[in-house]
Amino acid sequence: MPAKGVDVPHGHDIRVADLRLALGDDPPVPVLGGVDFVARAGEATAIIGPSGCGKSTLLDVLAGLVAADSGHADPGGPVALMPQGDALMPWLTLRENIAMGARLAGAPAPEAAARADTAITALGLGGFGDHYPHALSGGMRQRAALARTMLAGRPTWLLDEPFGALDALTRAGMHDVLRDLRATERPTILLVTHDVSEAAALCDRILVASPRPMRIVDDVRVVGGDRSAAVDAVMASLRAAGALA
Amino acid sequence: MSTTDDRVARPDPAATPSAGTTEAAKAGAAAEAAAVGAQAAARRRRLRPGQVALAVALPLVAIALWQVAVWVFAPREWILPSPVDVARAGWDARDRLWFHMQWTILIAVIGLALAIGIGSALAYLIARSRIAWLAAYPWIIVSQVIPLVALAPLLVLWFPPFVAILVLAVLMSIFPVVVAGVDGLRGTDRDLIRAARGLGAEESWTWHHVRVPAALPRLFTGMRLAAVFVVSGAVVGELVASERGLGALTRLTAGQFETAITLAAVVLLGLIGLGLFGLIALAERIALPWTRRATRRGA
Repeated sequence: MPAKGVDVPHGHDIRVADLRLALGDDPPVPVLGGVDFVARAGEATAIIGPSGCGKSTLLDVLAGLVAADSGHADPGGPVALMPQGDALMPWLTLRENIAMGARLAGAPAPEAAARADTAITALGLGGFGDHYPHALSGGMRQRAALARTMLAGRPTWLLDEPFGALDALTRAGMHDVLRDLRATERPTILLVTHDVSEAAALCDRILVASPRPMRIVDDVRVVGGDRSAAVDAVMASLRAAGALA
Repeated sequence: MSTTDDRVARPDPAATPSAGTTEAAKAGAAAEAAAVGAQAAARRRRLRPGQVALAVALPLVAIALWQVAVWVFAPREWILPSPVDVARAGWDARDRLWFHMQWTILIAVIGLALAIGIGSALAYLIARSRIAWLAAYPWIIVSQVIPLVALAPLLVLWFPPFVAILVLAVLMSIFPVVVAGVDGLRGTDRDLIRAARGLGAEESWTWHHVRVPAALPRLFTGMRLAAVFVVSGAVVGELVASERGLGALTRLTAGQFETAITLAAVVLLGLIGLGLFGLIALAERIALPWTRRATRRGA
């Protein structure tokens, strides 16, 4: 459910062309080996690939945190990056953590707090606004992290394995939360995950990444809710790319 | 599950869920909070009566052994007085001890305040600036390699006695503040920085709103160590450069074989260190409520 008064504009296409990056000095290790894709505005696109293939680095480049060696990475506008885990500030209460997104978007403190309270209620966290993150469950913290991302008011969300640390039941609940937010906020989402079923459950398209140095080796569209066909196609691509043990 | 544990997540009774909250979501939140509450209760660390008794008994046993040893071996009183002799001598010389103790407390408190202030500022500069790192950090390490006792006569030559003692106290206690501060500022969880930067935070915002608060627990650890070291620094200075202070008193009384008063002064030095350590620990509890409470208000 959307936070009332939060006006998140629709997203933009994310365009990535022949993106290359090597990290380290002695010798440099190629991480991105010519990544090409276009993620459409308003859609949710998953990038799935083996651990350590460079997915998080790709998001860092799109968020402007790391400069690529060559190629083109255009997120189409401001992005909000949600890192692995919840990454809530332990010294801030749940309300303050969520309000941080609005504060960074330029909202005055009282307005940011009011928006945070609206989001807290909408996400089923009512009554926990004054709690510190350590006193809350993983699912509650994750909801707060999503609310913080939402209140940043940016049209494109880069989600880096946001639910990887949650148990299966909590993760299913978080999928519902994200689906609700998609329906109301209509952001462009780029979701990095190593869970094929999660990608198929949440996204319109699944981009299959090769092992490092990362390239996109397949582009699978989840058609009409036929997730099993998408999962089969992704698994076949991962196998062909040598990404499965 | 205990409901009195202050780490247990409980909803704020004053907060009213809006109509937009689904029953499922509320039930989910309550279930999750209950689960967290159970974990928090399991994590609870409260001292049991037996543990408190052990903490009190151990020093009492040590004192009793000391008293028995004096009875058994009967050393001359100026070599090793008994604990009872020390207590009696300390009480008799209470005015003299208090006169010197005030001076040591003054030096230690001012020295600790300066060490924390200058040390925190240095830590910030060193962590933030590569030039400051290269220019200042080696000197701070060198300052700890040189024995203070060797440095004290020089400082007395260069500065008035009060300033010389203060410099020694600061030199002795600044190191843990700087090292802990630098480590805390440079060791911030990468995901926290990534979360802030990923939402558009500038570098300077990230320093002040993420790195600095994240460094505070480590900084307080350094400050607790400094609270102990500052007393040693003050005593070294008083031994060399002062006619006042518990350090000076130990020098004077040891030279006149008033060993019981010397030992009473040593006990008081320990108490000063303990008191400063406790003050920093109290400040930490007030400044970092998130390390021990479930909510800011204690709801």
